[in-house]
Parts: sequence; structure tokens; C-alpha cells
Amino acid sequence: MPSAAVLGPVVLPLIAAGVIAIFGFAGKSLGRVAAAAGAWSSLLALLAVWVPIRSSLELSLGPLGFGSSFDLRTDGVTFAFGLMIATPAAILLTVQPRAWPQAVLSLLALASAMAAVESAGVVLTAVAGGTAATLAVVLLVTEDPRARRPSWAMLLAGWLALSWFGVILQVGGGTAVYSAVPVATVTGPLFALLTASAVLVSCLFPWRTWPADLWTRPSLRAAGITVATLYPMGFYLLVRAYELGDDRYPHPLFNVALAVIGLTTAFAAAARAQAAPTRREFLGELIPGFGGFALTAIALGTPLGLIGGLILLATASAMVACLALLPDQAGVASLVTIAAAVGLPPGIAFGARVIGIEATFEAGDFIGLIGVASVVTWVTWMVGGARAIGLPAGRGHPLVETSPKVSLLIAMLTLVGGPALAVIKAGFADPVAAEVMQPSTSALTGGLTNVVTVSSVLPAATLFAPLLVFAALAYGLANMSTIRTQARPALFKVPAAEALSRARTALRSASVPEQYRTILNVRELEMAAAGGQPVLWLGALVALAYAVTR
Amino acid sequence: MEVAGAFVAWLGIFVVVLADGRYGLALGTLLAAVGIAAVSLPIAGPTASAALAVGGLIASAGRLVAGPPGWTVMPAGSTPRLVLGVAGGLLALWVGLAVTSGSGAGLRFAVISMLSLAAARALSSDSGPVVLTAFGLLALAVGAAAGLSGPPHDGWPYLAAATVAAAAAWVPLRTPRAA
Amino acid sequence: MLPEALELVVLAAAALVLALAFAPVPTSRRGLIAKGGAGLAGTAAVAAVPTFDLALLVLLALAVLHATIEGKRTLASRLRAPVFAVALLALGALFARVQGPDVVHRFAAVGLAAGLAAAIGLMPYLHPFDPEERIMSSPIAWLAYIGPAVAAVMVADAHGLLNADTSAAFAATLIGLGLLNMAWGSIAAWLTENGGAAWRYSFIADWGLALSGFGVAVTDGRRAALLIFFTILLGRLPLYFASRGEVRGRVATERPINLLVAAALAGSAPFAGFAARVLLLRGATQLFWPLALVLAAGMLLWLPSSLRLGRSLGVPRGRQAVGVALVLAINVAVGLYPLPLLAAARL
Repeated sequence: MPSAAVLGPVVLPLIAAGVIAIFGFAGKSLGRVAAAAGAWSSLLALLAVWVPIRSSLELSLGPLGFGSSFDLRTDGVTFAFGLMIATPAAILLTVQPRAWPQAVLSLLALASAMAAVESAGVVLTAVAGGTAATLAVVLLVTEDPRARRPSWAMLLAGWLALSWFGVILQVGGGTAVYSAVPVATVTGPLFALLTASAVLVSCLFPWRTWPADLWTRPSLRAAGITVATLYPMGFYLLVRAYELGDDRYPHPLFNVALAVIGLTTAFAAAARAQAAPTRREFLGELIPGFGGFALTAIALGTPLGLIGGLILLATASAMVACLALLPDQAGVASLVTIAAAVGLPPGIAFGARVIGIEATFEAGDFIGLIGVASVVTWVTWMVGGARAIGLPAGRGHPLVETSPKVSLLIAMLTLVGGPALAVIKAGFADPVAAEVMQPSTSALTGGLTNVVTVSSVLPAATLFAPLLVFAALAYGLANMSTIRTQARPALFKVPAAEALSRARTALRSASVPEQYRTILNVRELEMAAAGGQPVLWLGALVALAYAVTR
Repeated sequence: MEVAGAFVAWLGIFVVVLADGRYGLALGTLLAAVGIAAVSLPIAGPTASAALAVGGLIASAGRLVAGPPGWTVMPAGSTPRLVLGVAGGLLALWVGLAVTSGSGAGLRFAVISMLSLAAARALSSDSGPVVLTAFGLLALAVGAAAGLSGPPHDGWPYLAAATVAAAAAWVPLRTPRAA
Repeated sequence: MLPEALELVVLAAAALVLALAFAPVPTSRRGLIAKGGAGLAGTAAVAAVPTFDLALLVLLALAVLHATIEGKRTLASRLRAPVFAVALLALGALFARVQGPDVVHRFAAVGLAAGLAAAIGLMPYLHPFDPEERIMSSPIAWLAYIGPAVAAVMVADAHGLLNADTSAAFAATLIGLGLLNMAWGSIAAWLTENGGAAWRYSFIADWGLALSGFGVAVTDGRRAALLIFFTILLGRLPLYFASRGEVRGRVATERPINLLVAAALAGSAPFAGFAARVLLLRGATQLFWPLALVLAAGMLLWLPSSLRLGRSLGVPRGRQAVGVALVLAINVAVGLYPLPLLAAARL
């Protein structure tokens, strides 16, 4: 396989974007076909590079000039995250009609995100990821300037922090290439910077942020692409962090801290979801919920935890496409989506959460408490999901951008895909664990029907298949017509939620007290500074001289 | 010669600081140019010094024909400028003779006094002819300062300084546009 | 001639070509050629002359030429800053050359740094500014056209004049001025009421980064400064030109082009400003990592003002749209692959 093939997943959507733009400026819209072609070609190129050889392929084109070289690499991690990014994007670009500028921006965002996960070094990841973030913001604002969107400052801060992390690696260790960084370079404080970057980039916070907010937009075209391309990035960084640290984080405290952040995020999302007034708002919390669980699992530092987290992320990426195409109507599509997302057996989400919780108990010590808390959170989700089935739909987004059949198909595949958990693990997650946790991969066994852990065996095929039959029977026997959508009270209220909300409102509306405003009057300061006053100039000179000569 | 030249240079810039009318400005320019040329002579040689002097002469002539009428030396309210000129000169003298060392003390004094007083004059005036005069003397001082960089001394800085000083005095003065 | 300075002169020429090709209709192209050409020639002369004194004299000549361009400000007010600047620079050079105690040589460092700031029109020596004034006669010409090459020359010459100890003081002064201009420029660009003034302050903010790059006296710092100057000459300046056309009829809009312009002005990836920031962080980390932390935090301040400036462009049409697209494309190309630009300057 020629190493130039690595460029395929990045270049093909760029070409498609260029063609659409040229025709668009000439007054002819190429419709969904060109956008779909660009996105699917990226996905197919990724598969074509990885599947035949299932080992790393690298391309190095020399220095770029800002301390980094143009090095691309396709390995297990690239494949997994590339699939997570490209698949929902391809589905959405195929099904949803959009204006040609939006199609171009979406393809450019996809190309940038693919470049970020294919980059062999930290700095190039930062450049590509920052580009994807910029394009996502442009996409969202041009679709609807007044609707909710990510804080550009927060995204920029995250990618800037990552680029700083990368240059520190270059200065301290001589390189920022993931596979070549000396382990001793990644110290605790430096790792904290990486962690901060990852958290900012994917907004992995317990409070409601853009991964949930975007789903309340009047249109979900840009929202779907944004979540698909940006949300996995923070997790990508945390997975690569294992490679940087030679299969571990610099200190167990980081594992614990990140796991707690993940758990808090998942639980907070669950708490908001069970109190959601509409189904749309409930569904909006699914992605942060998945992300929280995934972060908890990935942060454990064990291969099993990593695998569980990756499968959860893959499920989340499928949910992105599902949610964007789901119409705000009662029906079987909503029902199946909720069932698949909350982790009902025998779904993939169910299996992945079982693996993740198992991993917490196998990690030992008090990490098991995180497992217990994960179970509680999961139960909260299930109960919230049951409540959500009967909720009113919500504001609704244009029917032309929905596709209940495709949405239902994705949700069904997620729900019935549980028996294939071991296959997914083998083909999708095991290569990642082998890449970033090499010394520990002897624990990854089980074949295509079972998931073997340190202390037990999860017979995915033989256990989940009968569960699937039972679930189908149960659905067939249940009478869905008795479900009436109506406003329902929340199961519980988070004690500090109102206080937190009041505090945030107060912070946003804070202003300088009246009696101090004259001190901070920008206009007067500006007039003083820009007036060209000789006294000011001479005074500044004296101050400078004093500062330098003391 | 060096001492006299340095004093005359300071006197010239002092007159420029005090004067508002074109005759006063022209006299100050001439004195400063002659002084700086004289103090540069031992270091820069006769050709370069002559360039400075000729440049200053042309600048002086230009100021003589364009600017506010009369002498207007020490008009009402010019006490601060008087203090500035004297204090500035004393400060320049102290720095040139006591703080710094080496040969060319007179040149140092002349250059420091011309640079600082020309800048101060430009900062404190809104009059075009005054600022242009200070500008010209600044150029002469910059040219003369090349002599402090150590040998060899080529004549280009002096020639350039003379050219800039001479040209600046002949810049036509226009009223600014309102729109 | 210093390779960096030569390259900056070439970039200034390219900026002039862009302005000529895509300038708003009311602008007289003949006047633009004459004034721009004269400025370019003067800048090239500053870069070409062999000694610091000659460079100062050429700067004086340039200043008087600029002051004579028709404009709203008086000749006196336009000459004040260059006179003050050259006086400081000359005094700085004098103190660097003469024998004396160390404090005299530190005054040299102060004089050179302050003189540079006064020449360009940076904090705390801001030139009086009228937003309605023509670009060529306004302080923007110093900030965005003449300034970059002049600064490169002055900094290089200053290091030649100063010894190791005072070079460190000079660098520290530049960093201090850089941080001051970054903070003031970015906040003022965001909060000031006048749109034209906001553009001016945005230039000042970029200069803050450039001064910090010069102050971080490692190669990466100079590379960063060069890239920042590139973004000024072939990014911010042409976009400022484009924002000036038909000012009264322009309505702030939020189309894709406005947001892409905002991203370019904010230094987001993949534009050249991001590569410059990466290099600056690299250089600062090598020198003193807390400085990199301060710089990184300061870089976030660009966003609010950039959004404002991007919207102020309105919807460019026809030739202006082509110009804006070309500027963005050039910035993306250099942002992703700055090596040729840096190699040409031997950095």
C-alpha cells in the first residue's frame, strides 16, 4: 500500500468541496450527491487504507516551518476515530439537503477533523483540529446567527492549549510525534495542560454546554456535522495520551480525576435528562451522557476500560446521525432511539457499559466505587428514558432535514448489535488498545463471540442474542397505543441546580459598580492614551527608564 | 574650537526653543548648524563638516522666507521654555562631560542637547514652521552623531543629514482638509 | 540588506499591489501608486542603508514626506511622533556607543525600544488618529505598511549596538511593551465605539505579538514576528482597505465570509496568525514558560474584536470579494506551510 494513500481520507473531501464551490459560484448547485460522494469517499479511503493491512502506514512530507513536519499516520487509533467522525458526517450529508456553501463548509470540517486524527504529531493535530473548530463555528453561525453555538473562545483556548503542549514537547523532548516523545518529557503539569485541552475541546463539563445545547437549534443540519467532527476530538487526545506516556498516564491521580469528571458529566446529563420538559431536550443530553461514560471508562487506564470507552464513543457517533435525522414526533423511531441510547439490553450501549463497569471493578481499590456510581447513573438514564417516551416532542425541526427511516435503522442496528459486541471489539477497539497500550494487550482475548476480561468472560453472542429475542417479543406484546405524550414531572431535582443557575446568571450580568465606573471609563482612557500628549509620552519614557535601570 | 562649537550649537537650539518667528528660527538654525559643524570638524573632517554647515545654511534660508513674521523671541508665556533650554543644556553638559567619558565630549554635549531640545520643541508646539525647524536640527544632530561611532567615518551620514535638514525647511505648509 | 527586511519590503509591495487591484472605487489609484510607491521606496531605503544613522535619516525623510500628504491632521501633529521617535533612537544609539557606566547603556536599551514604539505609533506613544482620514495619510501607514520593515531593521541594528547585558534589557523592554500593546490593543479594539479606531487598535494588538517575538530573542521569536508582519501586511491591511469602501452604506453582516475574516484576524487555524502564535509560544517556552502562559491567555483576547471587525466588512462584492478571498487564501497557504516564507528570510 503506497504511503500516499494516507492522504485519501483528507484530500477526497477537500476535492469534493472544491468542485461544489466552483459549481456553486457558477450558479449551479450539485445537491446532496457531491457532498455525499465527498464524505463517503473519505470513509471508504480510510477503510481501504486500514482493512487490507491492519497496521500503521505513515507518510512524511518534510517540515512545514512552525517546528512541525507534515507527518500523517493511519493506525488503529486513526481508524477508530476516523470512523467515528466520517460515518455520521457521511450519513448526514447524504440524507439532509443543504445549500452549497453549507455543504462546502461541512466537507472542509470533515477533512480537517480527519487530518487531525491522521496527524502523527501533536502540533499538526492542533492546527487541523483548530481548523475544524473554526469551520464548525462558521457553519453554525451562518446557518442561524441567533441559535446556540459553542463558545469560540473556549474552542480556541482548547486548541491553543494543545499547540502549547505540543511545542513544550518539542522544546523539552525534541519532538511532538506521538510515537516518538520520550516518556520522561510528559510530566504531571504538562499532562494537566493536555487534559485541560481535551476537556475544553470536547466541553466535558458537568454543566450544560454545546454538545447538549446544539440539539435545541431550530435546524440540526449544522449541529449534526459539528458534533460529529468536534466532539470525539477530546477523547482522541486522551487516548493518544496513553501512547505518549507509554501506556499510562503520568500519575494515577489523573486517571481518577478524569474518571470522576466523566462520571460527573454523565450523571449531570442524566439529571438534566430526567427533568427535561420535552423529548428533544432529553435526546440532547444523550451525547454528553455517552461522553461522560466513555471518559470514565477510557480514564481507567486498563485495556478493557479503553475498549469499553471506545465502543461507547462509537455508539455515540451513531447516535449523532440518528438524533439529527429523527423527527420530533412520537413514533417507533423515537422509542427505539431512546431504548438504544439509554442502554437497554441487548444493545451495543448496554454491552459497552457492562464492559466499562466491569473494568472499574477489575481496576481494583476504590475505583470500584466509580463502577457503583456508574451503575447508579445508568439506572437514572434508564428511568429518565422511560419518562421521555411519554414526553411532548419539542419545538421540532424542519421535516425536510429528517429521515425517520434512516434514524430508525441506525437506532435498530445499535439496539440489535449487542450480540456482535465481540466482533466490534475485535475489529474496532482492539487495534486501538494494541496501539496505545502495547504491554498490556495480552489481556485482550476472546475472539468474535466473547469478551474475555481479567476475572470473567462476557459471552456477548450467546447471552445477547436470546436477550434480543426476548426484547422483540416484549415489544410485540406491548401496546404502544397506550402511550400518551404529556408534560411529566421530573423524577428528582438536583439540589444545587437552581443555586448554580442563579450564580451563573449573576456572573453573566455582573458589572462594575456605579461609583467605580469613572475609573474604568474606556472612552476617557482611550482619549488620554491616544491624544498624543507630550507629558504622557515623557512620563512613559521615565517609567520605562526606571523599570529597566533599577 | 570644539568647546566654542558645542556652545554655539547649544545656543542655536536654545534660540529655536525660545523663538516663534521666522527670523528667530532662522538665526537659531544657522547658529546650531555652524556650531555642530565646528564641533564635528576634528572627527568628521572638513568636507563632512562643510556639508552640515551648508545644509544648515539652506535650512536657515528656507525658514527665513517661510514662517510667522518677525523674531518673536521669548514671547509671553515662554518661561517654561527658557527653563527647558537652560536645564536641558545643563543636563546635556553633565551627561556629556561627567557621566560619559572618552574623546569627543563637546560633540556629545552638542548632539545630546540638540536631540533632546529639538524633540522637546517639536512636542510642545503646534506650529508647522517651528516643528520643521526642530526637525531640521534633529537631522543635523543625527548626522553629527555618526562621529561618535568610532572611525572610519564616511561622509554619507553628514551629507544625508544636510540634505534632509535643507529639504525640510522648504516643505510647503498647507492647511489641513476638513473632509 | 537584512533578509527579513528585504522580504518585508517585498510583502509591502505585494500589499500595495493588492490595494491597487482591489481598492474601493472612490480611491484614486494614481495617488495610491504615488504615495504607496514613495513609502515603499523609503522603506526599502531604510532597509538598504548600511548604518543605523543613515537609517534614522531616511526615516526622517520618510516622516516628512508622509506628513506632507493631504490629510485632516496638521503637519505639526503628524511630525511630532517621528521627531520624538528619531530623537529617542538617536539618543539610544549615542548612549550605546559612548563609554560610561552600565546605567548609560541601559538607557540606550530604553531609548531604542521606546523610539521604535514611538516611530510605529504603539502604546504608550499612540499617534493621534482620525478614523475618517485616508489610509495613506493616517498612522495606519506607519503601523501596517512602513512599520514592519523599519522595525526589523531597527531591532537588528539595536542588537548590533548593544552588548549582551543591555541586549537582554532591550529584549525585556520589548516584551514589556509587547504585552502592554497586546492587552491594550485587543481590549480597545473590542470596546471602542468607533469602528475605524477598532481597526487601528487591532493593528496595535498584532504589533504587541510582534514585539514580544522580537523580545524573545531566539530564532522562533523572530520567525513569529515575521509571520505576524505577514499577517499585518497581507492580511489585516488589505482587509482594512476592503472595510473602508462605502463606509456609510455598510451594514454589519454575519455571512460565512465575515466569519472567515474574523477567524483570520483572530489568528485561528488554519490562518497564518495561528502558525505565528505557535512559533511565539515555542520561543517563549524556550525562554521562560510563564511568559508563554501569559501570551497564550492574551491571545484569546483577539476573538471579540475580530468578530466585530469581520462583521464590519459587510458583504464584499465583485472585485472586492475576489480580493478578500485572495487574501484569505494566501493566509491559509502560509498558515499551513510557512516554511518558504521563513526560509526566504533565512530563519
